[in-house]
Amino acid sequence: MMKQAIIPALLLAVGVLIPLLIGENPYITGILITVLMMATLASAWNILGGYAGQYSFGHAAYFGAGAYTTMIILSVSDTNPLVAMAAGVVVAGLIALVTGAIVFRLRGHYFGLASIAVAEIVRLVVLNLEFTGGAQGILLTDVKFYGLDLNSKNPFYYGMLIALVLTLGITALVRRSRTGYYLQAIREDQDAAASLGINLAYHKNKALLISASLTSVVGSLYAVYIRFIDTHAVLDLRLSIEIILTAIIGGVGTLWGPLFGAMLLVPLAEILRSNVLGEALVTHGMVPESSPVGMFLKEHLAHAHVLVYGIITVLCILYLPKGILGLFRRSGK
Amino acid sequence: MIKHLLNVNHVNKYFGGNVAISDVCFSVEEKQIFGLIGPNGAGKTTMFNCLTGYYPVSSGDIVFDGKKINNRRPDEVCRLGMARTWQRVKPLGSLSVLDNVMVGAFAVTRSLHTAEKMAREQIHVVGLDDYAAQLAGSLPIGLKKKLELARVLATKPKMLLLDEICGGLNHTETWAILDIIRSIRNSGTTIVFIEHDMKAVTSICDRIVVLNAGEKLAEGTPAEITSNRDVIEAYLGGGHHA
Amino acid sequence: MLFLQSLISGLLTGGVYALAGIGMSLVFGVMNVSNFAHGDLMMLGMYMAYFVFTLLHIDPYISLVLVMPAAFVFGYGLEKMFINRVIHHPHQNQILLTIGLGLIMSNTALLAFTSDPRILTTSYSSSSFNILRDVSVSVPLLLSFMITCVITATLYLFLGKSRTGMALRATSQNREAAQLMGINVSRMSAIAFGIGTALAATAGALIAPTYYIHPLAGHSFLLKSFTICVLGGLGSVVGATVGGLIIGVIEAMSSTYISTDWKDVVVFVLFLAVLLFRPQGLFGKKGGQ
Repeated sequence: MMKQAIIPALLLAVGVLIPLLIGENPYITGILITVLMMATLASAWNILGGYAGQYSFGHAAYFGAGAYTTMIILSVSDTNPLVAMAAGVVVAGLIALVTGAIVFRLRGHYFGLASIAVAEIVRLVVLNLEFTGGAQGILLTDVKFYGLDLNSKNPFYYGMLIALVLTLGITALVRRSRTGYYLQAIREDQDAAASLGINLAYHKNKALLISASLTSVVGSLYAVYIRFIDTHAVLDLRLSIEIILTAIIGGVGTLWGPLFGAMLLVPLAEILRSNVLGEALVTHGMVPESSPVGMFLKEHLAHAHVLVYGIITVLCILYLPKGILGLFRRSGK
Repeated sequence: MIKHLLNVNHVNKYFGGNVAISDVCFSVEEKQIFGLIGPNGAGKTTMFNCLTGYYPVSSGDIVFDGKKINNRRPDEVCRLGMARTWQRVKPLGSLSVLDNVMVGAFAVTRSLHTAEKMAREQIHVVGLDDYAAQLAGSLPIGLKKKLELARVLATKPKMLLLDEICGGLNHTETWAILDIIRSIRNSGTTIVFIEHDMKAVTSICDRIVVLNAGEKLAEGTPAEITSNRDVIEAYLGGGHHA
Repeated sequence: MLFLQSLISGLLTGGVYALAGIGMSLVFGVMNVSNFAHGDLMMLGMYMAYFVFTLLHIDPYISLVLVMPAAFVFGYGLEKMFINRVIHHPHQNQILLTIGLGLIMSNTALLAFTSDPRILTTSYSSSSFNILRDVSVSVPLLLSFMITCVITATLYLFLGKSRTGMALRATSQNREAAQLMGINVSRMSAIAFGIGTALAATAGALIAPTYYIHPLAGHSFLLKSFTICVLGGLGSVVGATVGGLIIGVIEAMSSTYISTDWKDVVVFVLFLAVLLFRPQGLFGKKGGQ
C-alpha cells in the first residue's frame, strides 16, 4: 500500500511545484492548464467509457452544462463561483439522468448514437435561446473569488490540478469497490453481469452521473478561466471526440491512461496549432520559404491539427486499440 | 412436509406466433437435483431464460421460495436466491479468475475483504486455486465451466440452474463436475440441471422432466424416464443420441 | 396552402435524405457497423458534383454517372483498407475508426478547398413552377426526387433479383449462415460499403445545387441519416426509405410552423422518442434484442 502511494505522491508534488519552477510564464502555464483539463475530462469519461464500457460520444453536453450554468449565474449575480459550479453539476446531472433513462435500456450501437443526439439537442437549444447568449456566447467581465488574482493563470492551474486529483481519486476509489467490480462486469458481459445480481441500469446510471458531474466541474472551471464561452467552444461534437481520443491513446479502463494521453496529445496539438513545425522546417532551410510547399506549410499547417487527430484516431484503433498503457500492461502481466 | 422451492404453473412462452413453451408445469423440492432434459429445440434453455428473468413469460406463474417471480429482472431473481450458469460460458474475459468470482460474491457482501475471502473459498471448492490470478478469458473450456460454477456459487444461491455444465467436457472432467454438484447439493443447495448427456443425468438426478417441442413429455425418477416409451421415441425419433 | 407547400418540399427533400439513409442502413445491415463517416462521404459527393460542373461543365445531375462509380470504388477501397479490419471489434472501435476517417476527409477538404462555402449555380437552380395558386415546386428538388426514385427502384430490383443482391440480403440476415452457404461475406461487406458510399455521394451531388457546399457540411447529414435509420429500424432498406420521407416532411413542417432554427432539435427529439418507445424502429420487427 505504501509503495503504491509513492508514485502518485511524487507526481502530485511535481504538479504542485511546477508553477513555482517556471515562474510567471502565461504561455507554458496555459498549455499545462489544458493538459490538466483534458486529463481530467478524459479520466471522468473513463469512469463510464473505460470501466463500464459505455462509450459516450456526447460528453461535451456535460462540459457545456457546467460552463453555461456557471457563466449565466455569474453574469447576472455576484454568486460565489463555487455555488455556480455546484449548480452546473445539478444541471449536468439532470441531463445525465434523462439520457440514462432513455438509453440504458438499450444495447449495442444505441448508447453511442443517443449520446450524440442528446449533446446535439443541448447544443442547438443553447444556440437558439436568448438567455444563453445564442450564437454570440457569453462574456464575463469580472469575477471574484476570495481575493485571488484571477488575472493570473496560476489559480486556474491549481483549480484544474485539484479537479484532476479529485477525479483520479474517485476513479481509484471506485476501482477498488464493489461498484468498480460491477462496472467492469457490465463492460465484459451484460447478461453474465445481470445473472450475478447486478442491476445494470442502476450501475450504468451511477457511472454516468459521476462522470457527468466531474465533467461539468471542469466545464465551470474552464468558463471562469477563459471568461468567454460559446457553443462552438464548449458544446461541439469535436470536444466530445477529443475527450475520447485522449482516453483511448493513453489507455481506456486504466487509472493513469487518460493523464498519459493528455500529456501526449495536448502538446502535439499545440505544436501543430502554433505552427512550430512548419516554421522550423522553413527557418532551418529544409523547405524554401517561397516554394509552394513552404507557402502551404506556413499557411495551413496551423489548421491541420484536427486532421492529425483523425489520423491518430485511425492508427490508434488499427494498431493500438488498448492505448499506450495497454501496451505496457500486456507485457507486464 | 416436503417444501417446494420452485413451482412452475402452466407456463407458456411465445415468440411472435411461435410456441417455445406450451403449458409446462413442474415443481422442484428443496435439496433435490432436478433434471430438465429433451432433444435440441425442446425449450430447455428458453425455460431457464423465463425462470431467471431474461424472457418475460407469455402466461402462467413461476413461484420461487413463496414469491411470484414472473417478469422480475435477472438481477432481482439472482438476489432472491436463484442463480444460473450459461450453456455458452460467459467469463468476464479481461478480469482475473479471482475478480470474476468476487463479482459473484458481491451479491451478498459489500466488503472487498469479505468478497475476496468468499471468492477464494469457492475457487477452492471447484479446484481452481492455481489459476486465481489468471485472466478468465485465457482459460481452456473445462476450467471456464468450473469458473462459472465458482462464480455462481459465490452468490450463495438457494437454487442453482445449470445449463449444460458438462457440455464440451471429456469424460473425466464431466465426472469431476458431477462430484462437485453432488457436494453442492449436500451442503443444502437445490439444483436444476439441463443436460444432453443422458448418462450424466440419470446418474445424478432425483427427478427428471422431459421436454419435447415445448411441451412436457414425461416426468418421473431416472428409472421411470429411461423406460418411458415416449421419451425413447422422442430422443431416437428426433435423431439425437442421448 | 402553407401546409401543402411544406408537405411537398418536405417529401422532395426527404427523398434525397432517404437515399443517404438507405446507404447507411445497408452498411449497417450487411456489416453491423455504424458508419460515422457517412456525412463526410456525402460532402465528398457535393464537391465531386461541384468540380465536375465547374471544370468539365457537366450538369450535376448528369455528373452522377461519374460520381456514383467513383464513389463506389472509393468506398470499396475504404472498406478493404480500413473498415474490414475492425469488423469483429466492439462497436465503439468501429465508431471511432469511422469518426477518424471522417475527420481526415473533412479536414483534408478543409485544407484543399478552404472553409469558404461554394455554390453550384445551374441555370435552373432557383427556378420553380406553380402547381396550385400558392403552391410552388422547385425544379432542382423535383429533379433530385425523380432521380432518387429511379435509383431506389433500381436498388430494390438489384437487392431482390440479382445474385449479388440476394447474397447481400443473406449476409444481412445472418452473416454466419451466409458464410456457411458459400457466400464470400467479406466481399459482400466491401460491396455494401461501396454501395453505401455511392448512395451517400449521390445524395450529396443531388443536393449540391440547392445547398452551400462546405467541408463540414456532412456533419448535420450524418445525424440525419442516423435518425432515418433508427426510425426505419437499423438495417432495413424499406424502413430507411420511408424514414427519409418522414424526416423530410417533419423538417419542412417544423421550419414552417416552429422555426428554421429549431427544425434539427425536432428531428433529434424524435430520434430519442423512437429509441425510447420503439427501439426496433417504426417498421422493425419486435423482439430480437
